[in-house]
Amino acid sequence: MRIGAKLQDKLDLGLLLPSIFLIVFGLLAIYSSTINHPTAQGNFDRQFFWFFLSLAALLIAYFIPPHVYRIIAIPAYIFSLATLVLVLLMGKTVYGSKSWLGVGTLGMQPSEFAKIGVILFLSYWISRKQTDINSVKDLAIILGIGFLPIALIMMQPDTGTAIVFALLTLFMLFWGGISLFGLFVVLSPGVVMFASVFGTLPMFIALGLILLLLIYFKRDLFVSATVFVVNIAAAFFFDYLYHILQPHQQKRIETFLDPNADPLGAGYNALQAKVAIGSGGLVGKGFLEGNQTQLRFIPEQWTDFIYCVVGEEFGFIGSVIVIILFLLIFTRLLKLASVARDHFSSLVVMGVLVLLFIHFAINIGMNVGVTPVIGLPLPFLSYGGSSLIANMTLIGIALNIHKNRKRYD
Amino acid sequence: MNDSSSGFIIRKRILSFMIIGFTAIVIFQLFKMQMLDNYFYVEKSMENSVKKKLIPAPRGVFYDRNFNVIVSNKPAFSIEVLPSEYNVKQNTLIESVLNVRPGYISNILEANKRYSPHIPVKIRRNSDFAFMAWLNENKEMLEGIDYDIELQRDYSFGINGSHIFGYTKEISASQLRERRSIYNMGDYIGFSGIEKQYEEILRGNKGYSLTLVDSRQRTIGRYLEGKEDIPPSKGNDLILGLDADAQLMAEKLFEGKRGALVAVEPTTGEIIAFVSSPSFDLSKFASVTSSEYWDSLSSDMDKPIFNRATQSIYPPGSTFKMLSAIAALDAGVITEHTTINCPGGLQFGDRFFKCMHVHGRIGVVEAIKKSCNTFFYQLILKIGLEKWSDYGKQFGFGKRTGIDIQEESPGILPDSAYYDRVYGKGKWTKGFLVSLGIGQGELGASPLQLAKYTALIANNGKSYEPHFVRAYIDKYTSEIIPLSFNKIELDIKQKVFDLIQEGMFKAVNEPGGTAGNAKLDNIEVSGKTGTSQNPHGKNHALFVGYAPSKDPKIAIAVLVENVGFGNTHAAPIAREVIKAYLDKNEIKKDSFKEKVARAN
Repeated sequence: MRIGAKLQDKLDLGLLLPSIFLIVFGLLAIYSSTINHPTAQGNFDRQFFWFFLSLAALLIAYFIPPHVYRIIAIPAYIFSLATLVLVLLMGKTVYGSKSWLGVGTLGMQPSEFAKIGVILFLSYWISRKQTDINSVKDLAIILGIGFLPIALIMMQPDTGTAIVFALLTLFMLFWGGISLFGLFVVLSPGVVMFASVFGTLPMFIALGLILLLLIYFKRDLFVSATVFVVNIAAAFFFDYLYHILQPHQQKRIETFLDPNADPLGAGYNALQAKVAIGSGGLVGKGFLEGNQTQLRFIPEQWTDFIYCVVGEEFGFIGSVIVIILFLLIFTRLLKLASVARDHFSSLVVMGVLVLLFIHFAINIGMNVGVTPVIGLPLPFLSYGGSSLIANMTLIGIALNIHKNRKRYD
Repeated sequence: MNDSSSGFIIRKRILSFMIIGFTAIVIFQLFKMQMLDNYFYVEKSMENSVKKKLIPAPRGVFYDRNFNVIVSNKPAFSIEVLPSEYNVKQNTLIESVLNVRPGYISNILEANKRYSPHIPVKIRRNSDFAFMAWLNENKEMLEGIDYDIELQRDYSFGINGSHIFGYTKEISASQLRERRSIYNMGDYIGFSGIEKQYEEILRGNKGYSLTLVDSRQRTIGRYLEGKEDIPPSKGNDLILGLDADAQLMAEKLFEGKRGALVAVEPTTGEIIAFVSSPSFDLSKFASVTSSEYWDSLSSDMDKPIFNRATQSIYPPGSTFKMLSAIAALDAGVITEHTTINCPGGLQFGDRFFKCMHVHGRIGVVEAIKKSCNTFFYQLILKIGLEKWSDYGKQFGFGKRTGIDIQEESPGILPDSAYYDRVYGKGKWTKGFLVSLGIGQGELGASPLQLAKYTALIANNGKSYEPHFVRAYIDKYTSEIIPLSFNKIELDIKQKVFDLIQEGMFKAVNEPGGTAGNAKLDNIEVSGKTGTSQNPHGKNHALFVGYAPSKDPKIAIAVLVENVGFGNTHAAPIAREVIKAYLDKNEIKKDSFKEKVARAN
């Protein structure tokens, strides 16, 4: 018991073990979805190999002296930007996105690793003593740090990852202590844009609400007017944004708004995913017994739709276990974010939490049909070395922060 | 921390709320999908991956009265196109190999456009071996074309029977709309003859096999190793009254002739032989009928599709003399002793009605034997039109027999109402009737009606409506289930039949009889010839008769068009068919079980 408590003090098992269990779940699901597949049979072995590689990355991140993270924040960010530029110049196109950098079979997705650089640099910048998060200048810089990689990722284009970076930046601002008004200024254009997706009337209602809130905040006329004009611009920006989206992305938005509009086209995956999960029942059809999975109704199921395998073959119980494991990780990280020894560490942990949660919410949401289909992997479960190694590195960093939570230097 | 601690706690709570809130939504959604709506999704997922393929049921086999197979089934290859996978660029190539005109495939695909592209469309049934070989060799480079094995009617047992059996045909779109629950696209359905009449008994129940398919509808295996498959169940077999030997003989004798023959069993009404000549080749209807063949049939001057046995209505000539005699005797207009003088004809008004000979004073039996016209001219004048017509109706003239195949004409049996209608009331005289007495004039009977009439004479006024099918064999129990048909019992004195039968016996067997050509050495045949006057050419030869005379087992009516005298042309045919039916070796009768086994 004492040894256990001592170990827990040094190594947060409440964070590490759920992560490993999730990876095991993922390995089972990958095995099931590829065992009968003509070309993807090697995926299980590769993921297994990456699992060990990611454990190594986790250990390195865990053992690095904590101050190193602050030192490498700027180089890591610059390196991330460099790889994102490089992938645009000489990357390989996979599923319509130029996101793959590599030679032969060895390769990686720079956007996955860029997450680490962005989290570290945002944390570093927000936690700087000179930074006043509520000043227009610093707010602009912070938004700039977040939106530079977003711009590069949009050029690939990989909308899903870009959304992740945008939300990551917003949540870190939120955690960094942005004032309510500041948050309002940053968020309101997004709300208006989202409302305008549903039509003109919702757009005007949103704009009206923003006007009311501006009156409530009682800022000076110039600031209020500027914010409102930005919001009006955002409302019409959506139309522009909609047109720069790839046709398959436009389809996805339309499909989310009306899932039955095109059941064999863009809505197909979403529909089949629901059928797979729904047909699982309480205990599932059994490992390797899911006909939706084994008959490959969902293309590339081992990536974004891996959760269907769990839902179909392990049923409601298996699906909920996965969610509970994630919930354990989130509560652990949230607690850690509030006990971390300094603002930087707290922000890093929040970055890790937000990153994992956004992936979780969008991926699971699309699998069960409560969010649109946006191509994002499910952390720890989806097949993919870059994502797994990046996520385990982030867990390693969080473990490192946990280990050093009581140190004051 | 830079932030105030209260603000920090609020932010933490907001995040907790978001995380827990979203997780709750997901768990609720999972509960709804996996627990509440589970049934719906299970159903959907089955639909996805399990494909039902219908297996057509073999139609029932036809047996003759001795359980010889006369129509069966045989496997045939049909070529199918799956519209969802088929590449129309292949049209030209496939059409040239199939040896059909360009546009053939696109026409078929266009006609089937309303159906799901995942349902195969048959572009050729009964494909020849050469095409199958070509298809197999080139399968790799062809998209969406495959073959299917199906069953077709096999008519290779020697009997043509085109007007009896009828044919099956791919179900039409309008029939399919009406009977959606039973039939599917591409099914064969009885289109004429027995195939049509007994469709329900013959068709059987389709089976299906369940196969697993992947998301692109490609077959990847059997579902549950076929445990849930249902094999098709064959239709019920029919037992016909036909006698293969008699039928074969009748068909052979009619080769190159135009006419018809109907032979029935007097006690049951079962049809023993049935020919309408010229006929057509049913095997050409077994698959998709080529339009060339159809055109050649429809444009043939001899009308091979027309069923002469049930639809041709000619004056029955002297074969009708028995009816006049029956009417007169039964109504008491004459007795067996009544004699009439035949001076070689009858002067009636300004017309002279001829007889073939001068018969002198003649009684009813002799008049039948010698076919004396004068006797019957006089007779009908004595009976009167109404009474004569009444007896005609009793024997079924002027109305359809209700035989178990379609297309039958009622014939013409005039009564006063008929003459009133045609000539106007009071505008026709008794002179119109004279020729009716010898079966000429405005009188029309089909060979089928004549056969029924002969059967009633042979069996003393008792028989059943003529029909082909005696019974069917229940496919589950192998029980023979007899079918019921209307019984006929005429209220005519036995003495009348005795006299008529005597006359018919003498006509064949005594010197001076007019039907001597029907005589057989070992079987007593009774009969009466006739010659149907034909204003357009040579007369039609007729014969009606039955055998054996004392215990009739077969009653027969023969019509040969445009050849002349009945005794010369029709009686010998009847004789040979009677011989084929009654004079056969017992050895030929195989056991029932063996025959059933062979047929299946």
